[in-house]
Amino acid sequence: MIQVENLNFTYPKNDTSTLKGLNFEIAKEEVFGFLGPSGAGKSTAQKVLYKILRNYQGSVKIKGKNLSEWGKEYFEKIGVGFELPNHYLRLTGKENLDLFASFYQSGERKNLSSLFEMVDLTDAMNKPVETYSKGMKMRLNFIRAIQHNPDILFFDEPTSGLDPVNAYKIKQHILDLKSQGKTIFVTTHSMETADNICDRVAFIVNGKIQATDTPQNLKSDYGKEAVKVELEKGFIKEFPLSKLGENPDFLSFLGQGEVKRIHTLEATLEEVFIKVTGQSLKA
Amino acid sequence: MNKTLKLSVADIKIIFRDPSLKSFVFLPILLFALIIWGVPPLVEKYDLLTPYLSLFLVVAVIENTQMFCFISTMALIDEKETDIAKVYGVVPLTKTEYIFSRFLIPYLFTVLLNVIMFTVQPLFEISFGTGILISCLAALVVPVYVLSINSIAQNRMQGMVYVKAFNMLVLIPITAFFVPENIKHLFSVFPTHWIFQSIENVTMGKDMTLVFGVGLVVFIILIWLTSRLFIKRHFV
Repeated sequence: MIQVENLNFTYPKNDTSTLKGLNFEIAKEEVFGFLGPSGAGKSTAQKVLYKILRNYQGSVKIKGKNLSEWGKEYFEKIGVGFELPNHYLRLTGKENLDLFASFYQSGERKNLSSLFEMVDLTDAMNKPVETYSKGMKMRLNFIRAIQHNPDILFFDEPTSGLDPVNAYKIKQHILDLKSQGKTIFVTTHSMETADNICDRVAFIVNGKIQATDTPQNLKSDYGKEAVKVELEKGFIKEFPLSKLGENPDFLSFLGQGEVKRIHTLEATLEEVFIKVTGQSLKA
Repeated sequence: MNKTLKLSVADIKIIFRDPSLKSFVFLPILLFALIIWGVPPLVEKYDLLTPYLSLFLVVAVIENTQMFCFISTMALIDEKETDIAKVYGVVPLTKTEYIFSRFLIPYLFTVLLNVIMFTVQPLFEISFGTGILISCLAALVVPVYVLSINSIAQNRMQGMVYVKAFNMLVLIPITAFFVPENIKHLFSVFPTHWIFQSIENVTMGKDMTLVFGVGLVVFIILIWLTSRLFIKRHFV
């Protein structure tokens, strides 16, 4: 669905490139994530893909057609969830969505009431957006991006500013959209979000992709395939995962007392990121 | 057309729900009152004002025009400050459609206000058709003014500073009324000069075709230039 080859981009007043030779593909029905610290180039890459930034070098193809060859019909096919809430504060939530929906011709608009219900904003639907909290505005951002039923969705930090419950719900909605066949490109510096929803992630630092794989593979590759067992008595031992149930040392260790905890030694995505890039995601 | 109307209607809603912008909409009423009941007794009392009667009309027309210059400038700066402008960069609306939508109501409303002004003013006899023509020309100040400021201002504070500066630029050609006839066109670098001269010619019973035509061309070129600048800077 999206193919990017050797993408370079330099902002007009900058000496150095913000994006340096990015290569990646995103398939239909895939959630692809860009993970990286602030200023890594995540949002810039998305801006190139949704045609806000144009003077890029390299090849970007959407549905097999060069991005530059797409006219305004391209915007019928994409939906963008911005990092920060951006709405007309003096209009109601419904008026905001109605206004932006009027620009689309697809006629596949989702039912407005169910969209508001989906993100628990039904009661606020007819209230001015200036009375919304940041989390409510972010949820309004989300439904504005999907209201015209686009094939490709870009979400920039989709759980930013949301409480854990609503962050969880938004992640579930993104997974629902994926199951409906949407192609989804997420940028985030939240490894939890990336781990929860992305089929594949790319680590991006200083405009370069350092690694691309599924979160599971990355965690396995950079962690230990082992479990750590801790007994109430304080004894701690590690055992390889392979044939764990047949390992006599493991079984004997379990017989030595009450088990306090057992956990795998798989790396977290953040640990993998630090190992691969030498940088922290919170940079 | 649906897109254009929806956006124009949204603009009106935004203006009327913003107390500070809403109050500006009532200024023309004050202006009409001054021109109808304020100026005639003043001129009657101070005879030295008689040669400058056309200047009163010029100022009234340009003040009418500046109302929507200010309102639209603030509405678009607000859109940039709140990042709504970015949303317009990713919807199937061409930039030309966007600009047309944003200026349709302000332009028509400004034309209407000036047509009313030409109709109700008791200072000169100006035909309805001529009033409409000059009103159409004068209202072209709105897009040029708003697009220019919104191409350079990043926030409300900067916007207010530029509004002050642009208000001065718009009024500078008034000086042409106080200088000898042979050098008055030195002010032609200021686009509003051509509007002022059109009004002056009409009030003096002269033909305004040339100054009106030059003014129209100048404003069309300026709208094209400022639109290009605005498109480059507003949606990023």
